[in-house]
Amino acid sequence: MAYFLRRFAHMLFVLWAVATILFFMFRLMPGTPLAAFIDNTTTAEQQAALIAQFGLDKPLGEQYWLFLTNLMQGDLGQSFFFKKPVVEVVMEVFPNSVILTLASLIIAYAFGIVAGAYLAWRRGSWVEGLGIPLVLTTRAAPEFWLGMVLLAFFSFHLGWFPSGGANSSGSDWSSDWQRVTSLDYLSHLFLPAITLAIYLQGLPLLLMRSNMLNVLQEEFITMARMKGLSTWTIVMRHAARNALLPVATAFALGIGGAVGGNVVVETVFSWPGIGRLLVNAVSASDYPLAQGAFLMITAVLVVMNFIADVTYHLLDPRVRIATR
Amino acid sequence: MRWLNTAAAIPRRDPFAFAGLLLYFVFVLIAIFADSLITHDPREILFDANYDLVRNLAPGGDHILGTTFSGRDIYSQLVMGTRGALIVGVTAAVCVVTIGTVLGLISGYFGGLTDTLLMRLADIALGVPFLPFVIVLAAFLNPSQWNVVIGIALLLWPQSARVIRAQVMSLRERAFIEAARVTGAGPWRILFVHIAPNVLSLSFLYASIAVGWAILTEASISFLGFGPSNSVTWGYMLQDAYASQALGRGQYYWFVPPGLCIIAVVVAGFLISRGYEEILFPKLKD
Amino acid sequence: MLLEVRDLVIDYRATRGRVRAVDGVSFDVPAGAVVGVVGESGCGKTTAVRAITRVMPSSAVFAAGSISLDGVDLVGLSEREMKKHLWRDIAYVPQSAMNALDPVWRVGKQIEEVLVDRGGMNRKAARARAEDLFAMVGLEAKRLGDFPHQFSGGMRQRASIALALALSPKLIIADEPVTALDVVIQRQVLDTFADLQKQLGLSVILVTHDISVVAYVCDYVVVMYAGKVVESGPVADVLDTPGHPYTMGLYNAFPELAGEERELSPIEGSPPDLLDPPKGCRFRARCPFAIAVCTLDPPEHIIGTGHVAYCHRASEAQDLRETAKRTETWVGVTSE
Repeated sequence: MAYFLRRFAHMLFVLWAVATILFFMFRLMPGTPLAAFIDNTTTAEQQAALIAQFGLDKPLGEQYWLFLTNLMQGDLGQSFFFKKPVVEVVMEVFPNSVILTLASLIIAYAFGIVAGAYLAWRRGSWVEGLGIPLVLTTRAAPEFWLGMVLLAFFSFHLGWFPSGGANSSGSDWSSDWQRVTSLDYLSHLFLPAITLAIYLQGLPLLLMRSNMLNVLQEEFITMARMKGLSTWTIVMRHAARNALLPVATAFALGIGGAVGGNVVVETVFSWPGIGRLLVNAVSASDYPLAQGAFLMITAVLVVMNFIADVTYHLLDPRVRIATR
Repeated sequence: MRWLNTAAAIPRRDPFAFAGLLLYFVFVLIAIFADSLITHDPREILFDANYDLVRNLAPGGDHILGTTFSGRDIYSQLVMGTRGALIVGVTAAVCVVTIGTVLGLISGYFGGLTDTLLMRLADIALGVPFLPFVIVLAAFLNPSQWNVVIGIALLLWPQSARVIRAQVMSLRERAFIEAARVTGAGPWRILFVHIAPNVLSLSFLYASIAVGWAILTEASISFLGFGPSNSVTWGYMLQDAYASQALGRGQYYWFVPPGLCIIAVVVAGFLISRGYEEILFPKLKD
Repeated sequence: MLLEVRDLVIDYRATRGRVRAVDGVSFDVPAGAVVGVVGESGCGKTTAVRAITRVMPSSAVFAAGSISLDGVDLVGLSEREMKKHLWRDIAYVPQSAMNALDPVWRVGKQIEEVLVDRGGMNRKAARARAEDLFAMVGLEAKRLGDFPHQFSGGMRQRASIALALALSPKLIIADEPVTALDVVIQRQVLDTFADLQKQLGLSVILVTHDISVVAYVCDYVVVMYAGKVVESGPVADVLDTPGHPYTMGLYNAFPELAGEERELSPIEGSPPDLLDPPKGCRFRARCPFAIAVCTLDPPEHIIGTGHVAYCHRASEAQDLRETAKRTETWVGVTSE
């Protein structure tokens, strides 16, 4: 319990620190402080309203306080481009990023765990000799480049999959759930998810393999052999279970990192996610939106780190019982 | 010097690491002699005898890898891109590993409040999403390759710092450090003269991977359109290809080679670091 | 005779070459007897004894020899056939149960696993049997629900013994079962073990480097050095009237488990490298009684019923024993 509280406090600390860094970054950029919130489409009275809301004519300290209090209330300002509250715009696209991240991570981890365990079992064979360089290559390739190649071949050339977006234009759905589980959505999801999965599977694969190799050297595996247990029992019930722990933690961490890292894949496939929103917002100098998107991505990262921490703590009986 | 011996020992022990070093060496050579290797000016828009734009040519004849949508020679761009990649890669690697090593040394040796503060700083750095941060940096500062270097230096130092800190913490209790202390050596002297050489091999390990991170990041940033538009890098080539609908036209000869080059350099870094790891932490073989 | 090991030769493939860890080892295990295999680390005792289970590291090679359990040659069996004997006929008690038990499984589950998978029991019967086994070794039934790290060292070894007894094997191989424990606990665990052995009529091979453990619980003893057997026979005979200088030296090197204080004198030097073993008697370099003829392989010398030693000077054993009792005999041997 104490551990949980400590890590939670730590998480809040990091969130606050990053928000503060963001605040100063956006305020201290070249140009007048006003430029962050005002562009030439805002009328004079809108400008006045913005200045009042964000206290842009007040000293920096007060602005910061205003920023924090607004943040706590979930007010991230108004997007220049969409003329809507930033929070609204962000939440519209956030689920798409979550779906893409989860889909690709699940594929990546399912494959990586099994392949990693297999490679560990086949140590010293040609399978390993070929497999390891192959995995390294997938980690060395830029994700967007993989996406480009897959897009060119499977979409433009073979026409099997659509070339961008999350839904075909002009389509109409009765509910969000309907839309997300439709074949149309899934066919749009497929290529970006596979692209990300190819890139992401390297980590669980290598991690699982490394853990398995260590575990297979352990004495309790020798004991299991002496007991005459079947190979399947030894590998799956004993070795894999011990090796899986760090991989489970990595999965949680992966969610945190992937949501922000999806930026390039979302761009290649025009996937309407939060990463792409950030890129577009920055390109369009829509600073409130850019700030909001960035904060959202950070929040996911920090919260997932926290969850990963606590999960590991709960899963490992040695750690759990020791702290009782 | 022990770390030099370690560095020289890799090629003999691990064929993969040797391959990695060889690859790096080849790329460095290409970067140095790029001017002599290119067939055309990478930025020059080319016209043929009839004053027509030589756009979208397939590989062959004058153009080993064909031309882009704007009529530039792809092969020359590829070769020149090596320079940009290596400059960014090596600069970023040196910066981030230097920062990480120094902070790791200080944190590990002095402990106490300094350590706590630095580790908190590390937590914050790790809490910032990397690519989004560099994007925002690129938006504020003028688009240039140095955004990547700054982003990496600011956010990725904790990886190496933590490992070096752990190493320093175990070294600091050893007899030879005690001996140095007894003979009156000051803490900074002990740190940099006695402890640092022992962790340098770890630094090299991270440096060899950091080059890969940097090149991948630069490629991503350029692809997103936030990179410098005046220099030709592999990332720029990919962005150009994408924006010019090269995918739809199936111009694989345009966008596949830059990706392959990136893969080659990054894999080289992985192989070298794996070779180092074997030497630093040899695992008992069956 | 329950188990007969004849001329066993086992090599390890190392990067430097082949290391002959076990070089022509033979010994017998009568039914219901406790046979101690004693020697220093690296003498091949663990390898020789683990070979009986055929669960070896992948670098190990069975170069020659036979191992017969109740007349069946185990070396010639296929893996599948050998598995049938594992745990049902031959069980194993490891040195460090902390490492030998799966850390994420409850101890009770690990016992039930072998009862269900290999003993064909259903869950309920397995649970009941696990409780019985724990009772036999002096552990409370409620401990079955704990994880290995929640046990103390002595309790873990008891749990290992319980696990070994699960399928009522004929033979138990205990590899340094009490070495990792402190002396007081050692004795307690050994007592429990010895009681169970007598109760159930088990045959036991007990591997140890501590000769006082051998004196405490064993009926027979096999002394190994550098991959070879140097002496073997009934425990009382071998310890009272040792025929090999190494045995004489060993006895001086260990305190009595339950006896009077003695002055200790370790044997100087270290065992030879088995990648390239010396010709003739391998103990030669550390033996205070070595003479010129010791450069030839020592012959088997019968000292008493079932008691043999492999030494050129075994006939002079009586005199040598007297000299061996004096600590100064053992000082400065390796510098001669």
